[in-house]
Amino acid sequence: MKKVLSILICLVMLSGFLAGCGTVKEETPAVAGTASTVAQEPASEATTAEPAPQEEPKKEPVTLTLFFYSPELTEQYNDMSKAYNEETGNTLDITVLQNDYATVLNAKLNSGDIPDVFMSSAYADNTTYKDYIYDLTNEDFIQQIEPTALTGVTVDGKITGYPFLVQSHSFIYNKKMFADAGITTLPKTLKEYEAVCEQLQAKGIQPFATGFKEWWVLPQTAWQLLAPIKDSYSGDYAKFVEALNTGALKFKDIKEMNNVFDMLDLVKKYGGKKPMESDFNDQTSSLAAGKVAMIHQGNWAEDSIVKANPDIQLGYLVAPVGDNGEKAGIMYDSNQTLRVAKDGKNLQSSLDWLRWLTTSDYGKNWIPGKIKQMSPIKGAPAAAAQLAAETSSMLSAGTPSYSWYYQRFPSGAEQGLGTILQGYCAGGKTRDQILDELDAYYQNLLKGAQ
Amino acid sequence: MLRSKKARLMRGLEFAGFTLPAIALIVLFVELPFIMSIVYSFTKWNGLDKVPKFIGLGNYIDILSDKSMHQALIFTLLFTVVMVTVTNILAIILAVMLDSNIKGRNFLRAAFYIPNIVSLIVIGYIWRFVFSEGFESLYNLTNAGIFEISWLGDAKYGFISIVLVSVWQAIGFYLVIYIAGLQTVPRDVIEASYIDGAGGLRRFFGVTLPLIMPSITICVFYSLSNALKTFDVILSLTYGGPGTSTTSIALDIYKTAFSENRFGYGTAKSVVLFLLILVITVLQVTVFKKREVEA
Amino acid sequence: MKNKNVPGYLLTIFLFIAALIFLYPLFLVLINSMKTFQEVVTDVVALPKTITFENYVKAFELMKYPNLFYNTLVVTVIGVSGIILVSSLAGYKLSRTRTKLSWLLFILCIAPMMIPFHSFMISLVKVAKMLHLINSTYGLGVIYWGLGAPLAIFMYHGFVKTVPKEMDECALIDGCPPFKAYFRIIFPLLKPVTVSVIVLNMMWIWNDFLLPLLMLSGNQKSKTLQIAAYGFFGQYKIEWHYAMAGVLMTIIPPIIVFLLLQKHIIKGMVAGAVKS
Repeated sequence: MKKVLSILICLVMLSGFLAGCGTVKEETPAVAGTASTVAQEPASEATTAEPAPQEEPKKEPVTLTLFFYSPELTEQYNDMSKAYNEETGNTLDITVLQNDYATVLNAKLNSGDIPDVFMSSAYADNTTYKDYIYDLTNEDFIQQIEPTALTGVTVDGKITGYPFLVQSHSFIYNKKMFADAGITTLPKTLKEYEAVCEQLQAKGIQPFATGFKEWWVLPQTAWQLLAPIKDSYSGDYAKFVEALNTGALKFKDIKEMNNVFDMLDLVKKYGGKKPMESDFNDQTSSLAAGKVAMIHQGNWAEDSIVKANPDIQLGYLVAPVGDNGEKAGIMYDSNQTLRVAKDGKNLQSSLDWLRWLTTSDYGKNWIPGKIKQMSPIKGAPAAAAQLAAETSSMLSAGTPSYSWYYQRFPSGAEQGLGTILQGYCAGGKTRDQILDELDAYYQNLLKGAQ
Repeated sequence: MLRSKKARLMRGLEFAGFTLPAIALIVLFVELPFIMSIVYSFTKWNGLDKVPKFIGLGNYIDILSDKSMHQALIFTLLFTVVMVTVTNILAIILAVMLDSNIKGRNFLRAAFYIPNIVSLIVIGYIWRFVFSEGFESLYNLTNAGIFEISWLGDAKYGFISIVLVSVWQAIGFYLVIYIAGLQTVPRDVIEASYIDGAGGLRRFFGVTLPLIMPSITICVFYSLSNALKTFDVILSLTYGGPGTSTTSIALDIYKTAFSENRFGYGTAKSVVLFLLILVITVLQVTVFKKREVEA
Repeated sequence: MKNKNVPGYLLTIFLFIAALIFLYPLFLVLINSMKTFQEVVTDVVALPKTITFENYVKAFELMKYPNLFYNTLVVTVIGVSGIILVSSLAGYKLSRTRTKLSWLLFILCIAPMMIPFHSFMISLVKVAKMLHLINSTYGLGVIYWGLGAPLAIFMYHGFVKTVPKEMDECALIDGCPPFKAYFRIIFPLLKPVTVSVIVLNMMWIWNDFLLPLLMLSGNQKSKTLQIAAYGFFGQYKIEWHYAMAGVLMTIIPPIIVFLLLQKHIIKGMVAGAVKS
């Protein structure tokens, strides 16, 4: 009797859950439904509003939820949010995360708690988030973006995201230390780099802080050293990655991989006593403090360096690609991307915000003036930063620049392949072993991506 | 007859009233989500697409030939053995010392417990600071070779560093349980062993240790299941590197699911981890409980 | 146990030295939190030249500390009280009822102790969203009821065995309704184990990071201390002096609570963990 009763209770309990789930299931589409109607209504409103965009502030103030990474930019995000609120009355609720960004974003998207705008990488992430991204192709403000900045977010002619920043990365050096060490010609080839390192070391200066502990620094360094590979594919990285994806090409068949290994060996050799422990903080603080002369980083590192040493003079070196100094260049692209959620509750307001970011005086000046990086907007002011200026002058002087092609690898490759290369730098494995590991891992990723 | 039926009903309702809230909460917030995840383990899913693709046992078959998972398994088992042994032996030794009537006993107990109340996110940050900045300054100060070693940048030392920080963080908790266990040992038993003239070590192994066996069972159980799930310390200290040399299973799962975006596959791995923990801990408790009875 | 073989003072000195080495990392945090940036960069182990609390003031303002403290407190209080309530009831009843069903339910309750959190967290967010528990400190507190209950039930279940059964009968003879009898007579008897359940769960919830991050997603208004500390480390990457002040401000509250409750904790452990 007792047992029967307990079983009954269990059943009641279970049915309670099922009922709970049932009502919830009904609810989710309802929410989605309202979201889409909300989305449609302001859309029509906007079309009527467009001929006379001046007289819009009749709308109820909206709160947009934005989901960002790059926590070092928190102050700048808040400043922009304040300016937007003052100009339009709308509020931006910005959440800034770092290492766990993708995890939390996935959980949110999955559960239906979708932020109005979120950040991601370009290229491979275009497909990763395909079910959530609003197509920006027909938005007027997209016309204001430099076409080169749009390549990374274009899929079959459709614009899947809003390029947030244009960035460059290569070897950064302390100009004064180079001058003091009597280095007059900047290195372009592996041999020249080695000579420079010897010269610095003779002066008692550690040449590099490696950044090898950071999962993203090492692949950025490594793939830059392979960048001219596109010339074997008529200048088209898409074809190179295609060859890898179909299995026609293996890492172990790419003879230029040896350039990569050679340079990584060199950076490690001249990278101090604990080359595998150097992270972003170590790189920026060591360069700022004059402990090292070079780091491989991007223009985003400048802010941290200058904060610690306001007088430092920074410059870019081209990264060596074997013996050919002509092909040595810098990496230049727009990767950090803003994605508008198509199921977001405030779709139209999100677009309004992006328009404001592109066309208003504050918005145009925000990236170059406050964030101090390069803006993808046409005719935007030059960034008030040394490395941005260095980038522009190098580009106009005809220094080769390469796009961030490694972002075209299947998602997860940046970190996974980087980890394997880190294993190489840690020692104990031959180049052949590493190449096999790279190929095996790449195959695994494809298996997951299909 | 009717009355007894009513009484039974009342008793059943009472039972339900006491137990249902907890059971419902556990099912709702742990078991139901876990079962939902198990369903994903039979799919190929990146964690984002709206429609996961059903592939049956495909993920589980892949695990059999997954080198990174095997490497993580070996690391985790090795870590678990070292961690469980070191933590428990050190904790017992410290507990015995702190159970005596020495001065400053309370201060010492607190000192050893404090790392246990610091959050793991902060611990990772503190130790990265110590290993990078602290050791550099200490090396300049003392010139001792120990500070020159790359504690986080070398596979071999990375393992030691992770064990070191994990023990540092965990030991206070086990220490308190062992002290508590020692206090349940009747004083007269100890006194009696003095009269018998048993020496320090013999007294410890012959009398004290068997009597604190229940504490040992529970401590080994906790430390086993925590070590098998180890994640946070590694995430913040080495992120599994250099290469994959310090990647635990839990970290491997995390990377599979969230950086490779192979969520279905990641959950399949986590089901395997769950079974592993289940088997190992059940075995441990059974063996240790037997010992307790014999003792 | 009196140590007659080793002179007591030698042991004491040894233990004090061990404790100092043990706490050295935290000591480093303390001294660096009082230095200027330049001092941190030049020598980490040196003592600060002048003791200033400027870094604390700055960190206090930047983190919006009072708000964070309040949020964390709300989550912790809701979480811990709920866990105590549901787990003590269930642990008591499951321990007293000697049937197969009761044993099965007990296993059902404690099995989650083996489930790795990462394996179900995404689905948990889904469930929480359905129940409208997301983005709210109250909701987060409620989720902890389910997550904390297994260990707590395990501890209560064991401890109840040491409470004589006559007490139940006493309560029944009084003619009280079962719940009232439980709270008047049984629950007070469980106090030792309740204390250790409180302490364990309080420390866990106060320090937890990933669940609040997922549920509150770092939202400004409902942030907890740990999430803020994490954001703080990201924002002030190499400004160690601020970060160290931030670190100390997040760990000081639980340390104070621990020092206040220290005696009860050991007693509670005797009762809770060891006897179960």
